[in-house]
Amino acid sequence: MTVLKNELAKLAKGMLQELPAGAPDADFAVSPDRAQDVAAVLRFASDHRLKVLFWGGGTHQGLGYPVVPDVVVSTAQLNSVVDWQAEDLTIVVEPGVLVADLEAQLEQRGQTAVLPESPGAATVGGVVASGLSGWRRLRYGPTRDRVLEVVLATGDGRVVRGGGRLVKNVTGYDLPRLATGSLGSLGLITSVCLKLWPLTAERAMFEVGDPAAVMRTAYRPYAVIETNTETTVYVAGTAAEIEAQAARIGGHPVSGHRWPDPLQGLFNLLVRVPAGAIPDAVTLIRQEGWRFQAAHGVGEIRLAVDDHDAAAILSLRQWAESVGGGLVVARVPEGSALDPWGLPPDSLDLQRRVKAAFDPVGIANPGKLPGGI
Amino acid sequence: MPLIDELTSTLGSARVHSHPLELMVYNKDAGVTTGDVAVAILPETTQEVAACVRIARRYGVPVVARGAGTGLAGGAVPVQPSLLMVLTRMNQIWEVDTQAQTAWVGPGVLNLDLSRHTDHLGLHYAPDPSSQAACTIGGNVGTNAGGPHCLAEGTTVAHIHAVEMVTADGDIVTLGEKAPDPVGLDLRAVVVGSEGTLGIVTKVLVKLTENPPAVRTMLLTFDSIQAAAATVSGTIAAGIVPAALEMMDQPMVIAVENFIHGGLPVDATAVLLAEVVGLDAGVDAEAEVIERIANDAGATSVRIAADDEERALLWKARKNAFGAVAQAAPDYYLHDTVVPRTRLVEVMTKIYEIGERYEIKMLNVFHAGDGNLHPLVAYDAREPGASERVKAAAEEMVRVSVAAGGSLTGEHGVGIEKRDLMGIVFGPVDLDAQARLREAFDPDNSLNPGKILPLGSRCYDYGLVSDPWQESS
Repeated sequence: MTVLKNELAKLAKGMLQELPAGAPDADFAVSPDRAQDVAAVLRFASDHRLKVLFWGGGTHQGLGYPVVPDVVVSTAQLNSVVDWQAEDLTIVVEPGVLVADLEAQLEQRGQTAVLPESPGAATVGGVVASGLSGWRRLRYGPTRDRVLEVVLATGDGRVVRGGGRLVKNVTGYDLPRLATGSLGSLGLITSVCLKLWPLTAERAMFEVGDPAAVMRTAYRPYAVIETNTETTVYVAGTAAEIEAQAARIGGHPVSGHRWPDPLQGLFNLLVRVPAGAIPDAVTLIRQEGWRFQAAHGVGEIRLAVDDHDAAAILSLRQWAESVGGGLVVARVPEGSALDPWGLPPDSLDLQRRVKAAFDPVGIANPGKLPGGI
Repeated sequence: MPLIDELTSTLGSARVHSHPLELMVYNKDAGVTTGDVAVAILPETTQEVAACVRIARRYGVPVVARGAGTGLAGGAVPVQPSLLMVLTRMNQIWEVDTQAQTAWVGPGVLNLDLSRHTDHLGLHYAPDPSSQAACTIGGNVGTNAGGPHCLAEGTTVAHIHAVEMVTADGDIVTLGEKAPDPVGLDLRAVVVGSEGTLGIVTKVLVKLTENPPAVRTMLLTFDSIQAAAATVSGTIAAGIVPAALEMMDQPMVIAVENFIHGGLPVDATAVLLAEVVGLDAGVDAEAEVIERIANDAGATSVRIAADDEERALLWKARKNAFGAVAQAAPDYYLHDTVVPRTRLVEVMTKIYEIGERYEIKMLNVFHAGDGNLHPLVAYDAREPGASERVKAAAEEMVRVSVAAGGSLTGEHGVGIEKRDLMGIVFGPVDLDAQARLREAFDPDNSLNPGKILPLGSRCYDYGLVSDPWQESS
C-alpha cells in the first residue's frame, strides 16, 4: 500500500487529508476541489482495484451495506455555490455545500430547494445521493424531481454531465434522476442543478384529531405528520388562503412553525408503504410502542426503536413488504445483523448492468445497494 | 416470411399487418419523418408483447413501440425495417387507488380518457399535451411528455410511480412501485423519456392529482413580446408559480381566431394565457397580482374568464392552435426548444430574425412559464426547396436556443429529429455515458435503434477521450 499511497500522493497534489470524523478506517483519504481531480482519483482507484467510499456530512452513511474502503473521498472541498439564477428558479451547487447553509441563503431571496428540514450536518451531495426528501414532498414532490442537472465523476474516472440547467428539459436519458438515490454506486456527484420554489407568503400549522379526515378536507397541504402524541397539518399560502384552509380543516392554527425533532434511537428505520396503508402501519407501530413520525399522503414513516427486538422489526418489515413497500435501515447498533434493505427489487440484473456502465471495475461505494451492487 | 408466420400464429392474422398499404398507416408520426415498417402488430397483453419481442430477437429484427403516433420527433418512426408494436389495444385502466391517488393503466389508454375516468373521484392526470385527446399514456412515458400544466406539476416523469416493461430479452420486469422511494437505482426514471430504447412499457402506475377547488383563467394582451415576457418573469419573481402560463404571438392568434371564432384579441402583438388554481381566496389574490404585474408591464387588456364556458373557450384556443395552422399552409413543422425563462425575449428576437431571413411563415404558441418555445413553421412541402429551408431554419433556431443556455427539447423528445444535434449540448464523454447506459438495457441495440443518440456516441473505447489528468494539468 505504501507504494500506491506515494503514487496517489504524487498524483493527488495535496488532496490527501485526515480521515473525516466518523469515517471507517481507510488507507488514505482525499479531499479534491475539482471534478477532474475526483475523476483522476477514481480512475486511479479503478486501475488498482481500490475500494472508494464517498463522504459528505456523514449523516446518511448508515444507509445500505457498509463499505470497507481503501480510499475515502470527501466532498469537503467541493463546497461552492456555482451559479444561482434566482429569476429562473435554478441553482447550481457542489456536493459539499451544507443543506442548512444553502436553504438559509435561498431564504434571503424568498426561495427554497425544498430539501429535508432539520438536516444537521447533511450536505446537498449526501441528500441527493441518498435520494431523501423532506416533509414538504406531499406538496412539492420528492427531491429527485428537483435535480435538473448532474455532473458525475464516474467510477472509472470520467466526468459526465447529464440533464441541463433548465426547469423543463427532456434532452437525452435522465441521468440526474438516476444519480439521485444511487448512493455513490455510479461515482461521485460533483455538482447538481436544483429547481427552486418561491417561499410562500404565510405558513401555518394545525393540530387535528383524525389524519384521515384532514387528508380529505385540507386542500393540498404540504405536510400531514402524525407522531405518537399528535397529528399536525402544515399549509401555506396567502393569509386569506390560510383562513380558507382553517375553515376546511375546522380549527385554528397553533402559534409558531416547527418541524418534528429528528428521531434518534438505537435503530433508526424508514418504513415505506403505499400512502393508503399509513393508518394500518401506524396501528402496528403504536402496538410496539416505538417512536414514529408518519407522513400521510406520502407513505413514509420515520421510526426510532430503542430495544434490541430484531424479531419485531422483521415482522414489521414483512408486513410492509406484503403491502407493496418495505423497511429500510438508516442506522443500526454495532453488531446488528438486520439486513439494511430487505427484499431486493426484481430488477437486480438490470441494476448491476447499469452500475457497471459507470463503474465497470466496481470500486465506487461497492456493495452498498440492495443485492450488494 | 417465417417472422410473419410466427407472429401470426401467436396473435392471429387480424392483429398482424404486413401489406404495404396497411403499413402506410404506421410508417410516420405527426412530425415530418417517414420510416420503414416491416410488420406492424397489435398485441393485447404483456405476455404477447414479451413473446413477440423474443420472436423478433430470433430473427434479428428491431422492435419499435408506438402509441397513437402523435409524436413529433420521430421517436416511433423506425429508421430501418422493424417490427412495430402498436400498443393502442392495451388500453385497460386496471386499478384506481383513491387513497394513494394512483392508477395502474395500460400504455394504450388515451391521456384525456384517464382524466375523464377519474374525474368523478375529484382526481386527474396532470400532464396535458395539446394532443391529449389522441395521445396515449405509453407515448407520454416514451417522450416524457409535457403540456401547459407541467409548469407547476412537472413533466410526465414526475407523475409515473412505476412501469412494467418487457426487456430486450423478452423478460418482464417492474421498475418502481406504489410506495415512495423504491430501493436501488431509479431505473423507472431512465425508462421514462427513453423513447422505447430501453424496453417496451406494458403497464404504467401513474400519480393522480387532486382537482383544484377553484380555477381562474386569464387572457392578457400586450403590444410587444417584451411586455408579455416581462409579465411572465414578474409573476415568477413575485413568488407565484401559476398552473399554466402560455404565450401566443399575433400570427397565431389570428390563425386560431379564424379557426374557432371565439372573439380572440387579433390586434394584440402578444397574448398570455395564465391559469392559477387552488382555493377561492388564493386564486383571486394571485389573479390580482398577475393583473397588476401585467398592467405595470403595459398590458393593453386583462380578461378573466367569467365561467367554465369561457375558460373552456380560452383553452380551446390554445389547444387547437396546431389544428388551426392547417388553413395557413398544407404542411407544418413544429419546433420544441427550451431556454432559461429570463432569456425568452432575446431568443425570440433571434428566432423572428431567422424566420425573416429564410422567408418562412412562422407562428408562435408556447409554454412561456418554463421557457419552452414552439415556433411553428407553416409551409408547402410541394414547393421546391421549401422543406430544405424549413429544416435549415429549424437547426438555426435550435442553435440560438442552446447558445442562450437552453437545450434541444423541452417535451417532444429527441427521436430522429434532434438526434444529430445532441453533440451541441453534450460532449463525447456525456454521450458515451448515455450510450453505455442504453447498452446496459439493450446490448444488441435491438429496441428502437437509431434514436436519441447520434451514431458513433460510443466513442470512449476508441481513445477519443484523453486522460483526465492530462485535461486538468
